[in-house]
Amino acid sequence: MSKPRLAHVVLGGCEGCYVSLLDAGEGLLDLLGKVELVASPILAEDDLTECDVVIVEGAVTTEMDERKLLAARAASKTLIALGSCAVLGGIGGLRNLYPTREVLEDVYGEDKPSEGLPKLTRRVKALSDVVEVDISIPGCAPETEAIISALTNVVEGRDLDLPRRNLCDECAREKRALLEPTAEFLTDAVYGIMELDEIDPALCFLEQGVICMGPMTREGCGALCTGAGVPCRGCHGPSRHDFEQGAKMIDALAAVLPAGAIMFLDDLVGTGYRFSMPVSVFPEAYDHGGDEDA
Amino acid sequence: MPLGLYVSRCSGQLDGIVDVDAAIEGMDETAAVVRVFEDFFDPAAQERMIRDISDADLDAVVLAGHSIEHYTRSLSGQHLKQRLIDAGLNPNRVIAANVLEQVALVHADDPVGATSKARALIQVASLRATLAPVVEGIETDPKHSVLILGATTEGMVAAQRLLQLGYKVVVADRGAGLRSVQDSANLKATVSFVSGHPNAEFVDDARLSDGSGWLGDYSVTLAAPTGSAMFRVGGLLLARPDEPGWIEELRQHFKVDIDDQGRARSIDPSTHPAETVDSGIMVVPIRGASEEIATKVSAADSAALALVLKLSQPKTVHFVDVSQVDETLCGGCASCVKTCAFGACSIGEDGLSHVDIRRCRGCGKCVVSCPVGARDIVNSPHDYLIGAIRTLAEVDTQGGDKVVGFLCGGCGYPAGDHASVSVQAGNGSYPASFLPIRIPCGGRLDTLYVLEAFKQGFDGVTVFRCREGHCHNLIGNLDMDRRINLLRTVLRSRNIDDGRLRIIDISPFEGERFVEQVNEVFTSIGSFDNGKGGPQ
Repeated sequence: MSKPRLAHVVLGGCEGCYVSLLDAGEGLLDLLGKVELVASPILAEDDLTECDVVIVEGAVTTEMDERKLLAARAASKTLIALGSCAVLGGIGGLRNLYPTREVLEDVYGEDKPSEGLPKLTRRVKALSDVVEVDISIPGCAPETEAIISALTNVVEGRDLDLPRRNLCDECAREKRALLEPTAEFLTDAVYGIMELDEIDPALCFLEQGVICMGPMTREGCGALCTGAGVPCRGCHGPSRHDFEQGAKMIDALAAVLPAGAIMFLDDLVGTGYRFSMPVSVFPEAYDHGGDEDA
Repeated sequence: MPLGLYVSRCSGQLDGIVDVDAAIEGMDETAAVVRVFEDFFDPAAQERMIRDISDADLDAVVLAGHSIEHYTRSLSGQHLKQRLIDAGLNPNRVIAANVLEQVALVHADDPVGATSKARALIQVASLRATLAPVVEGIETDPKHSVLILGATTEGMVAAQRLLQLGYKVVVADRGAGLRSVQDSANLKATVSFVSGHPNAEFVDDARLSDGSGWLGDYSVTLAAPTGSAMFRVGGLLLARPDEPGWIEELRQHFKVDIDDQGRARSIDPSTHPAETVDSGIMVVPIRGASEEIATKVSAADSAALALVLKLSQPKTVHFVDVSQVDETLCGGCASCVKTCAFGACSIGEDGLSHVDIRRCRGCGKCVVSCPVGARDIVNSPHDYLIGAIRTLAEVDTQGGDKVVGFLCGGCGYPAGDHASVSVQAGNGSYPASFLPIRIPCGGRLDTLYVLEAFKQGFDGVTVFRCREGHCHNLIGNLDMDRRINLLRTVLRSRNIDDGRLRIIDISPFEGERFVEQVNEVFTSIGSFDNGKGGPQ
């Protein structure tokens, strides 16, 4: 029997997922032994036809992305969305809050390129907005082991079940005041991580007044950030797609941290929707002025 | 799942306003039985429904007619619902569609709008009847013991009656009460009977420091200078509706509604003067300490009798409002622990959220706070509320603005019903494109529902909730305010004018103000340029 044909397609993103895959080092050789790699940033020529598995990383940000994604879907038996951009729209999705003409003006100013670049789509989209996705591996970037084990499972025909609990399940930080049923907020104020003189390495960030997206975020990363002294930013997205992270951040934290202080956060929306704006209930801002395609 | 859909013409009150045939047109395709009765409270109609339940094997029923409140607050409504339950239906699947108080009685000037609204509310009720989980009740052998709060004239009279009927009583007073001070010769015999009775126990200088449980089986801890003691009783009787200390302490642990003067409020002053929203807690229905003694005695009799009627049943059944936690979703973040005002949520040794069902009052705040949706509330499940919003969004308002109203069960929904009294008195109405959804408490309002409503094209979202200090879930209203006000930032980020989202506080009997406020909402909507929602 011939080896499964595997392709790797990159859309709008930073190619961090690809770097994470390459980080497997010699582990890649095991995987490559099991597949025929027919399209990849590392190959000189792509043959995106009759693939068994196509990995797509990056979000749909341009019309070219859309065409590439449709071609990838047409060529694949199993399509894997790899990374937060592909699964959730990703951090670039925050541009959906602005009309594309403003985004272009902001980036290029007077030197707006007129030719040769693919047109931006009106809004950044997750792959699932455009095509059917068979398997989603969220993460910005997903852990190397997670990618390799997912790919190995898929090419060997095994099911892949992502964990669904929120990050607190695997976070080692301790909860104390949170477990006490009192009506008081945990802290008097809300702090940015840089504003604290001291960070207790063992205590839940929320108890230190720092917004952590852990409760709103699907586990599976091993709570790397919170283990390294950084609050969760929510890159795995919500456990259930209909429970958007930004609104549920408000629902969950309004009785935990002082709501008044949350309101005056520098970037409440950017915090809540950092990776998942394109899959939220309102994936973009209304453009009441009417926006031309950029 | 076979659904029975019944419409009551409410003895002619729908005639000429709601076109019943149009309102239910085509619904026989999904419902197993569809019938229109002149009145549900006609015995023949009830017999017919009961026969249908067995003949057509119905397992859910929609009663389109009177308000949802009618089935908890009026004897005829309670009786009908109980008959249907006795005939084999699950109590969570007997669902009212309020096409009378919030449709026919308020929209007589707009039969077309009233008919569309009635149709939508029937569809929403059908959705709930079919989505609501079957709930199992917890059976209790009711304890024949009563805690009386207040050794007042009323408290001592009630104690005497209960003792004579073989009940044990615990009489707690914030001071020393009436045991030594006898305010009238008439009461001397009562006081000495109660004081010397072997089944009576007294706690002086008492404070209510903890409470849990339900009709038939409460645990109440009284703190006194002599120490704290926990009592297991079948019911509680509040001897005075105007004793702020007891009311404040009761409200920390149980649902107790208060009126505008801060007195404990019964569910219906005319038909259920002693019963409160917690079916095992009675309040002696007097207006104040200055009442005539005869009034006090008869009020105490009525409260004692109301409680005895409950506790003399061989079994009482308590229905748990919250579902089990979904272990595949709960990561033990403890948002629910901090949100619950009754201390009912905790994180167990297994790292999962648990609910102490004896403390849970069913407000739904833990469900809203849960960022992964690991728990649900059985009488208004998430999928039902989302479905209700989508169903109401389909209503054709002939191009007019459309507003969804989330009405809290404590104040907003009763006020919406009471608006019918105001409209009937000739005070003017409000547009039929105001489409209500009842939620058990303001605290049940998830930000996702507001977003969904705008997404589905509503021009406005209005929440009617209890006034500050009046929420019987203590702070369900204020928690909702916090969430909704934070959500304004999200709406503005999407260029949706957050003025389209209104929170209005109201008392249950402010029908006229309900109408005024709804009209004001519609007036203000015209002033917003920035988009509503609508599919993108």
